Amino acid sequence: MKLFSICLRVVTLICFAGLLQLQLHGQGVTVEVSTLPRVGVSISGPLGGGATEIVSNDLKRTGMISPVGSGSGDYLATGDASEAGVSGRLVNRKTGENVFNQTFSGKGRLAAHQFADAITQAVTGLPGFASSKLAFVAGSVRTQELYLADIDGYNARAITHDGTISASPALNHDGTQLAYTSYKSGYPDVYLIQLGSGTRTRIAFFPGINTGPSFSPDGSRIALTLSKDGNPEIYTMSPDGGSLTRTTRTRGAETSPSWSPTGDRLVYSSDDRGSPQLFVSSSSGTTDGSDWDHLVTGNSYCTKPDWSPDGKSIAFTTRLGGQFQIGVYDVASRTAHLITSSGGEDPAWTRDSRHLVYSNNGRLHLLDTVSRQSLPIDTSVSGCGEPTVTR
Amino acid sequence: MNNKCRLPVLLALTFVLAACGDEKNANYTGMGGDNGALPNGGSDTLTPGDASSGIPPSPRGSFNPNDADYQTLASDTIYFDFDKSTISGDQREKLQAVSDWFKANPNDSLFLAGHADKRGTPEYNRALGERRALAVREYLVGLGLPAASLYTNSYGSDRPAVDGDTEEAYAKNRRVEIGVIVPKP
Repeated sequence: MKLFSICLRVVTLICFAGLLQLQLHGQGVTVEVSTLPRVGVSISGPLGGGATEIVSNDLKRTGMISPVGSGSGDYLATGDASEAGVSGRLVNRKTGENVFNQTFSGKGRLAAHQFADAITQAVTGLPGFASSKLAFVAGSVRTQELYLADIDGYNARAITHDGTISASPALNHDGTQLAYTSYKSGYPDVYLIQLGSGTRTRIAFFPGINTGPSFSPDGSRIALTLSKDGNPEIYTMSPDGGSLTRTTRTRGAETSPSWSPTGDRLVYSSDDRGSPQLFVSSSSGTTDGSDWDHLVTGNSYCTKPDWSPDGKSIAFTTRLGGQFQIGVYDVASRTAHLITSSGGEDPAWTRDSRHLVYSNNGRLHLLDTVSRQSLPIDTSVSGCGEPTVTR
Repeated sequence: MNNKCRLPVLLALTFVLAACGDEKNANYTGMGGDNGALPNGGSDTLTPGDASSGIPPSPRGSFNPNDADYQTLASDTIYFDFDKSTISGDQREKLQAVSDWFKANPNDSLFLAGHADKRGTPEYNRALGERRALAVREYLVGLGLPAASLYTNSYGSDRPAVDGDTEEAYAKNRRVEIGVIVPKP
């Protein structure tokens, strides 16, 4: 039985991990299994050198592909990179099959990221996240501005210059809108920014706090925290500020709502039972508590949940021994486990439901939840926090 | 886990409402627990901000919160325990002093600014600061102050009184500062 269990683990881990170290507990045996598909990358043209480097780095960052030189590999990615974009081609070397031949027209580094995402999708079956945008806040404690960057840290730029507290950015499903909290009026209000035009609209400014917006998967609703009725509760509203619906009704404070991928449920943090815990309830406004589901994580302080795009996992921040770490709750088995050991806060899933961006002491990181490897995201901006990504 | 009794105490009216709740979340498994401070740990403390019938925050006044004068009542800043919005007994004398001051200056308004220390996620801390501010407001209403003259705001962990990563610094940052708004002539 034990042997079967170990075999099952090995098979499972090979399926999901590729390169990993497997500890067989009690036996002190470490088995290294390397099954990553290898992709040779060789892009020519005026910007070919840079594009080759970008694509190679993106593929490596997936944790599921090993980029190699053009002379070897299970696949060969070739192409031509110029100011107009990247025309890319992927060939399966074993079968000789031409997997795709496609033009990527994103500006600057984006075209190479789009090529990397197409390779990732073709080779692993999972969506790549190299073309994702990152939103976060940065600055000193007392003054924080809103920033956008590529998920590899490049092209970071401030999109607010208000000299006040900006917090809790959220991106909609197609990355065209950003909702966030700002103290521009002196009070915490929720604003909506049209990223294309730069138009900013204040959409929630009730008495008390208005904060922590989160877009529904289709972008038609925003969940947020309001204290207008006496203590902080979860509400949903349309992005134009209308049709406000109350979702929770407790004696405690509810914060940080995050939508299920189907949009019918919300996970959020509530301290109604004395310290913050995670709960799931209907997003449609049942406030009598009848459909509440307490996610038992085994830890007394759990905040800032984020529901994965595939619906299977909920990442959250937890406090353990005075330190803050990232945990992941498995929806099917109803169990939770820690996935960081040296600190972390405010996790957000990438579109492959495998990686998380998070912050730790003012720096942003990308974490592979399978291999547990964490890479710093160098934005060249100090004092970063509350990262979120386009999916 | 045994059934736990909660004793929410409505300070304002100085009587005690005792209610027994069934603690359903008995099976804590998985990550091994933290420091024994599991939810709803048999609290017998005073939690005036806990009631769902909490007094809603005031509509925003026609002043800029950044213009509040925090010097006049600086010695009456109310301090809190970690992750708590409960007003402990040793803080009540200061609230009586605030009440006395207001009754001598009834044309002014008070601006109750709630704060949290830097530990934890920003959004939860913003809600915690709000609950602290609302708890102070409810207490002052209980002392006879008009709710309409008591404005609140939460700055979460974004406006610490002192910098640093020591327990001493954290304790000074878990607070509600009492600001004074003088009406414009």
